[in-house]
Amino acid sequence: MFDFEVLVQQLITGLSNGMIIALIAIGYTMVYGIIELINFAHGDVFMLGAFFALTLMGVLGMESWGPGGQAVGVAAMLVGSALFCGALNWSLDRVAYRALRRSSKLALLVSAIGCSFICMNLGLFWGGLPMDVFAGGVAAAAPKDFPALVPQVNLLGESFIRITPADALVFAVTIPLMVALTLMVNRTNLGRAMRAVAQDPVAASLMGIPVDRVIGATFFIGGALGGFASVVYSLYNNTIGFQMGTRAGLDAFTAAVLGGIGSLPGAVLGGLTIGCVRAMSDQYLETRWTNTIVFCILVLILIFRPSGILGSSRKEKV
Amino acid sequence: MRWRPGPIVTILAIAAVVPLVDLVLPAELALSEAVRTVFLYAILALGLNVMTGYAGMLNLGIAAFMAIGAYAFGILSCEIYPFQLGFWPALALTIPIGALAGFILGAPTLGLRGDYLAIVTLGFGEIVQDILKNLDSITKGMQGINPLPAPSIGGAMWTSNDERSWYYLLLALLTLTVIAARNLERSRLGRAWFSIREDELASRSMGIRVERAKMIAFATGAAIAAFAGGLSASVLSSTGEPNNYDFQVSILALCIIIVGGIGGVAGVLVGSLVMVGLNSIVLAKATAWMAAHGIGSQGNVMLSPNNWKFLIFGLALVIAVRIKPTGILPPKLERGRV
Amino acid sequence: MNATRTAILTLILIPCVGLLGSHSASAQGTLKIVSSLPRTGSANAQTSTIVNGIKMAIDEVGGKVDGWTIAYQDMDDASPQRGNWDPAVEAQNANTAAKDEEVVAYIGTFNSGAAKVAIPILNRAGLVMVSPANTYPGLTKPGKGEANEPMVYRPSGKINYFRVVPTDDLQGVQAANWAKDLGIHKVFILHDRELYGEGIADVFKKQAESLGIEVVGFEGIDSKAANYRSTVTKIKALNPDLVYFGGTTQSNAGQIAKDLRSGGFKGKYMVPDGCFEQAFIDAAGAGNLNDNTFITFGGLPPEKLTGRGAQFCSAYRTKYSADPEAYAAYGYECARVILQAMARAKTKDRAGVLEAIAATKDFDGVLARWSFDANGDTSSTVMSGQTVHGGKFEFVKILGD
Repeated sequence: MFDFEVLVQQLITGLSNGMIIALIAIGYTMVYGIIELINFAHGDVFMLGAFFALTLMGVLGMESWGPGGQAVGVAAMLVGSALFCGALNWSLDRVAYRALRRSSKLALLVSAIGCSFICMNLGLFWGGLPMDVFAGGVAAAAPKDFPALVPQVNLLGESFIRITPADALVFAVTIPLMVALTLMVNRTNLGRAMRAVAQDPVAASLMGIPVDRVIGATFFIGGALGGFASVVYSLYNNTIGFQMGTRAGLDAFTAAVLGGIGSLPGAVLGGLTIGCVRAMSDQYLETRWTNTIVFCILVLILIFRPSGILGSSRKEKV
Repeated sequence: MRWRPGPIVTILAIAAVVPLVDLVLPAELALSEAVRTVFLYAILALGLNVMTGYAGMLNLGIAAFMAIGAYAFGILSCEIYPFQLGFWPALALTIPIGALAGFILGAPTLGLRGDYLAIVTLGFGEIVQDILKNLDSITKGMQGINPLPAPSIGGAMWTSNDERSWYYLLLALLTLTVIAARNLERSRLGRAWFSIREDELASRSMGIRVERAKMIAFATGAAIAAFAGGLSASVLSSTGEPNNYDFQVSILALCIIIVGGIGGVAGVLVGSLVMVGLNSIVLAKATAWMAAHGIGSQGNVMLSPNNWKFLIFGLALVIAVRIKPTGILPPKLERGRV
Repeated sequence: MNATRTAILTLILIPCVGLLGSHSASAQGTLKIVSSLPRTGSANAQTSTIVNGIKMAIDEVGGKVDGWTIAYQDMDDASPQRGNWDPAVEAQNANTAAKDEEVVAYIGTFNSGAAKVAIPILNRAGLVMVSPANTYPGLTKPGKGEANEPMVYRPSGKINYFRVVPTDDLQGVQAANWAKDLGIHKVFILHDRELYGEGIADVFKKQAESLGIEVVGFEGIDSKAANYRSTVTKIKALNPDLVYFGGTTQSNAGQIAKDLRSGGFKGKYMVPDGCFEQAFIDAAGAGNLNDNTFITFGGLPPEKLTGRGAQFCSAYRTKYSADPEAYAAYGYECARVILQAMARAKTKDRAGVLEAIAATKDFDGVLARWSFDANGDTSSTVMSGQTVHGGKFEFVKILGD
């Protein structure tokens, strides 16, 4: 049985999920592009962003605001979480990574893994805050409900195919962000400096580029994108938990590699591919094989294109 | 010149007296039980060290080979399957089976550049768990395979309660693995691996057959990891669930070799002791002690010492590489670089 | 320089065991009860209430039985690197308890997989184990699991493992019967691919089919996925009037409820007792569950309890200023059945306690009046059905009546 409506619905689901993955993947790809670090803590920074947003919602009592007020509230959460995650990611670089710039990549990797565990533990504590939005903080480790400020109602009325304001939010937030980021990397002085550092940090520093500050800025921007992603993710899925960063991070990292790590459009393409493959596999095969299929596709693509779909094979970096 | 014991011999010798020390310690402070876990992780990490430490191929899915070894051991030895080979033959067979699995994964992917290979191995780690879960008619899915035989020598059986004999058996097998790793390190092949790790292009132009050497490193590492898997299944008398061989296990193994000092056997041993020891000795005994004295038993999540374990483990990793980026005991040859 | 760094690192990373505190010499006449539950990671919310229940039972007898002091030790069978139960740690806990001669009873485990590791170790040591949460039938019941179960867990030939919770094979059947009573014709079954969830979903499926309910789908989900929208679309296209999920709050039962509702699914949703806790409603959001969600539970819910059970509820509220959850009652029940057996035991050693526990008859428990049967299972098979109304669980009926 082939049902056209089902296919369309699965594509919508796949693209929405894929967009969120892509937004997280950009954070990986930027950091990787500039210092060749698989930033394991990125997924957990993203998770803390979601806790920050939920706390903001609780402190300001956004649930009781009117529809217009809630729109402002969503904007406030987006900006707040972005700044929070940006600052957090920047601090991790300052405290845990910067001193290891001249050490081996593996030492850096272990430091990132350590940060990931620390952030995860902070998320566990955060969920224990005695606030209403955390269900009083009694069961700190349990998943937390993230109220649907953006309604999950069908914009198309009673039809089988559903497009909700939450779907719309995903696209309305991610596409402008990606455009802005691409412009920033290609057109601004900071973007040029980032590309220069990615190409050759020593040469860049000889040209007068403050390498550490540029790397710090990259961490900030990558973290901020994770912050945006955390709010979009939370409003789309309406559940957060202290361990959600691990899976989100794995998916996003896979997307970044699939698209060609270091490449911004590659990360987006990788995210969308994974989102759609997942949806199709859930529908037409079995859910329990979905992860296997995603990774088999990854391996196949890498065998034929060893640097990912859009990765350049000659240059090693952005 | 007078013979002086190196760090490896010292570590193994200290390990050998731990059960004797336990005799004078009260039961709840006994160490040998926890040290057994250290041995198993040390063998696993020695396998990873062949791939990542010697040949420079980052592997984020070593647990998959451990799972393959455990399940191979289970299927070959458990009473519910037709093979029922017994402990020693089944354990011996985990080695070629692991090598074969390494070969199957490695053959198409070893051409990939560093971190692309890492993601493929990571994916392999996830796929193996899924396959073990989904093919439940063969692997029993989430049930796990049990009971698994314990070793016997000359008719004397080990059981998991028979601690001291288990302890020394694991120590002996670890020592064998250490000797094998040391010999590989010093062999022609080992030198080829080091050379590839430092500069693949230069090695190729020196006439080293890079693909072949990488393939052997991958298969050897996988074989050792599978051996560790079979052994751990026998210790537990069960393969456990496929989830027991997840990404976190691979990550712990990676942290062991890097914190210990990548590329050297002594470093791997120290790394296992520090990282696994931190989790299963220091944190476990500290939280048990605090709980017994009524510290933070209820109320806020932050008051319970158990809830600090992730944080302490993470901090230990960050601090360790910050203080000694090359690891606690880096190999002498390469001191200062990896 | 390097040597100094090594020294510092060693000092930081290997705080030697001596620092862990002096071993308090045990006074004559101390008996120990230990529990081994996953205390690190996501199961912590559930196991905390179990531990609360255990502590309450011990406090109620003043920490003494027949003049013997009762010491309780709360062991963690999870490890930080796994964030979940770890077989090596469970084995370590079991061995530690087996070696410590003061230990006379072992409460645990939370996960049935962990029980498979622990039972044989404790069995060889003749140490009794009582579980507040394992529901996998094969641990006790011949013919319900693998061919070699449960004898494989009893190397000594004697039974040392007991549980106070009814098993999945009972609950799955009652759940399907209830679905039939609710007028369900088509069901889509999901499970979390865990021992508990898949097991109970299997039983549900068989019973549903034998009752003539059409099973339009049976799928294992990825319990770590961010959402299940694509699965919901698949479900919706098949138009069942019930979705049954074999799983727990931890394995994302709340997210499934959300995605079913936000995906426009109008039918009913049924889950087993792994979701019978306030955390499930908190995670799913009350609006997604109200009046269309059905929860089965092996026992009576707290507000329906009378006698002992009612006392337990009010005492729990006073002590912890929270409503007791199902797991708290199971934890309390475990500890009480052990403490009473210790009081009855002729000799206060392992064999005596084991024998007394096995002989438990007509126990006036908080969940029902029950005995341990020849397999070590509770004879109480009371199952209740709950729904969610106004963000709270609401008792509907006793299943099987």
